[in-house]
Amino acid sequence: MTRVALVSVCVVTVLSLAQQQALALEVQITAVEASYEGPSDPRLLDMRPRLRRLVGYRAFRVLQDERRYCAWRSPAAFSLPGGRLVHVMPKGMRGDEVMMHVQVINGPRSLVDTDLRLQNRGYMLIGVDDDVHAPGILLIMLKAVE
Amino acid sequence: MSERVMRCEDAAPLLDGFVDAELEGATLIDVARHAAACTSCDATLQELIALHETLGGHGRADADSVDLSGLWRSLEPQLVQADARRAWRRRLRTTPVWASALAIAASALFFLSPRTAAPPQSVATQVARRPNQAFIERIDSEGGRFELRRDRKNGTMLIMVSATGDDLP
Repeated sequence: MTRVALVSVCVVTVLSLAQQQALALEVQITAVEASYEGPSDPRLLDMRPRLRRLVGYRAFRVLQDERRYCAWRSPAAFSLPGGRLVHVMPKGMRGDEVMMHVQVINGPRSLVDTDLRLQNRGYMLIGVDDDVHAPGILLIMLKAVE
Repeated sequence: MSERVMRCEDAAPLLDGFVDAELEGATLIDVARHAAACTSCDATLQELIALHETLGGHGRADADSVDLSGLWRSLEPQLVQADARRAWRRRLRTTPVWASALAIAASALFFLSPRTAAPPQSVATQVARRPNQAFIERIDSEGGRFELRRDRKNGTMLIMVSATGDDLP
């Protein structure tokens, strides 16, 4: 009798975890320092020409890379270097697009507060230039995989 | 009432008219009387009548033997086109000047306007989707200023935020 109860609990746990996993969205936040000179991170070599065109800087260094499953309609916070925060809330799918609410916060200030649609497995960039003493800017790469 | 005597030189130019019954009654009787008394003119008249009958018979026979149905089939489209052209010309003649000017202006607009490759559909389907395209539905920033940039090739979106007051790089 005890064995049956244990097996049942395990099955229910596995099923609920699987369901949670199936409903979750994988969000990847990569913090990159963009500057005018210096070596670039080998992980970003493929993207370097595109980043250069978009941002205007020449060197790109990965500061932090975090990947996490986020539940639908639940806010998730990602900490960034310099005390900044990225709040992400996946809102749903529309076709092959992920609808999200994204907020970048620095202390009491909300630097960016936006609702956006991102291609599934696609990414977008948020550049933050809020430190006059920094040699470059902070580049936040946001990627969503359903 | 004096009886008119017709001579051969008077009757000769009238013989064709006699055979074709084109002469007036009195002249017709005069030619008949002369031919009855003149063997030469009578012979000429008999030849003409025979020729007339031969030609007339041939013509009728030919007309009876000709099948005009094929000819009509080939002529009909051309006749229809000719009728259409005639009707169009008639319509043009009766069209007011302002209507003609309007039609010419519309034609010029049609020929001078840029052509589109595909028939118009919804805006969403007209714009080609790029592989990494993102859409901003709403954006806000407290105090800072932001700028949207997009990579033309892949559609990668960048939101550039400056909270320092400096110009964006």
